Amino acid sequence: MKKIYCNIKKCLGCGSCEIACAVEHSKSKELNNTISESPLPIKRRRAEFVEENVAISTGCQHCDNAACVTACMSGAMYKEAKTGLTQHDRDKCVGCWMCIMSCPFGAIAREKQEKQVVKCDLCPDRDKPACVEACPTRALSLGTFKEFKKLCNM
Amino acid sequence: MQYVIIGSSAAGISAVEAIRAKNKDSKIIVISDEKKPLYSRCLISYLLAGTIDEKKIWYRKDSFFKNNKVNALLGIKAIEINAKKKEILLDNKEKVKFDRLLIATGASPKLENIPGIDKLGVFPLRTIEHTIEIQAMLDKVKSVAVLGGGLIGLRAAYALKNRGKDVSVFVKSGSILSQIVDKDAASLMQKRIEEKGIKIFTGVAAKEITGDKSVKGVALDNGSKHGCELVIIGKGVSPNIEIARDSGIKTNWGILTNDSLKTNVKDIFAAGDVSETNDIALEESSINAIWPAACEQGRIAGLNMAGEKETYEGSLAMNSIEFFGLPVISVGITRPKSDVYKEIVKKDAARNIYKKVVLKDGIIAGVVFVNSIENIGVIGALIRNKADITGIKDIILEDYFDYGKIIPLIKKSKKGFREPEFKETLLTL
Repeated sequence: MKKIYCNIKKCLGCGSCEIACAVEHSKSKELNNTISESPLPIKRRRAEFVEENVAISTGCQHCDNAACVTACMSGAMYKEAKTGLTQHDRDKCVGCWMCIMSCPFGAIAREKQEKQVVKCDLCPDRDKPACVEACPTRALSLGTFKEFKKLCNM
Repeated sequence: MQYVIIGSSAAGISAVEAIRAKNKDSKIIVISDEKKPLYSRCLISYLLAGTIDEKKIWYRKDSFFKNNKVNALLGIKAIEINAKKKEILLDNKEKVKFDRLLIATGASPKLENIPGIDKLGVFPLRTIEHTIEIQAMLDKVKSVAVLGGGLIGLRAAYALKNRGKDVSVFVKSGSILSQIVDKDAASLMQKRIEEKGIKIFTGVAAKEITGDKSVKGVALDNGSKHGCELVIIGKGVSPNIEIARDSGIKTNWGILTNDSLKTNVKDIFAAGDVSETNDIALEESSINAIWPAACEQGRIAGLNMAGEKETYEGSLAMNSIEFFGLPVISVGITRPKSDVYKEIVKKDAARNIYKKVVLKDGIIAGVVFVNSIENIGVIGALIRNKADITGIKDIILEDYFDYGKIIPLIKKSKKGFREPEFKETLLTL
């Protein structure tokens, strides 16, 4: 399964991934228009500090045995058989926040007004997710875990 | 191999999916006393509220049984298990053989033992049938009395307020949601609910439901009377263990299971609201009658029935509720009963935020967050994996607390955090 990995050694915690993610998931998809949208688009990635000068960009890990899918009482959160990705069906979501309660990575955010949740969808309209493209140090990459290990020489 | 599953809600459905994932062809029989299962029990109060349409409550497709090659016996109740003969007796006198059996019979609403409980217009809120029946009489209802201030009682109150009814909630104990959150969180919720026009009376219980054939009111134990046309009973649930009686299957409150979700009888498993499992936070056997636990137990029971060796790490109380835009989530122990527990609390009245973690020997046993819930799952992971949080306890309730802050704990942990996704995030640390 291909997903987004972060090389902690390269991550500066600069937040470029957060901005790129929010813009990609906005109505206009352009930064200067995005900032005047209401409600503001929600980022699905976060640059988080582990300690001083150590950072990681995290988001949905598309877990194999996903706690959010198990907790979802409406069938909105599901595993896509073909890709193994954890996907979210807005038509089914009722905004009960049970997935937020269950996600060990804190990777699910709320659209409070819409009573919906949002999380990383790997940017279905793009070849490469927006965050990966925006990462100035190439800390973020899209691929399998094997490919990620190779990329990091591990 | 013939698998039989009694019950077709969260645990039963998850078990079907788990068995089918491992075994494409074996026979699966599902027995359910509900004629039309496959709906989400948690969503019936949303349906009653009118905030979702009926389509949304079917959390699996109509074709689920067909697609999974399940022989579904619906509207039929299993009444007896003969463990020796490996046979189940049904209420239509027929018998069903099994090689492996899952008891996922769920729980039933506790009804009050007070006069008048059998009058027309008194309902629990547990099944889609209850919702349909309540909806059918709503035109004639002006006032509603809800007996019980737990999750279901309040969800029913919210739903009926949303339908324009005059709603009063009578709570025997001193606070609402007493099984789920602590007093501080409960009072924030109560304030919001009352602001929106639902009346809550604590320390009061109904002693009689009055009226002729139909409900006309409730008589309270403080001597006062309250007129209403509809009474909702929200007094919690009790596990449906009758089926296990005389079968040799051990029960306590629920059906006792081990960490494979097996009962004491060979080839018989139990999962969901009927099963008693190890509670991770309480560190004792308990029932957590909640949707996520039922799904997880059903999945693991199903896998083990199909011959896998999956271990169930135990259940954990957790609930997510939102009333009128104010969300609260709790996990584990929120009202510690002994002083071995310590608490860390953060209050921010201006933002209506309240956060508390309950600690035992540096390990989190419970958490409750009001109006700032985004990272509570990270704390849940710390509870599940029994991580010592002494080193991060000063920041654990801060706004900037997030997954990144627990990475050093994951790295240090020897036994916990076994899911591969944790290790993947640590690779380059």
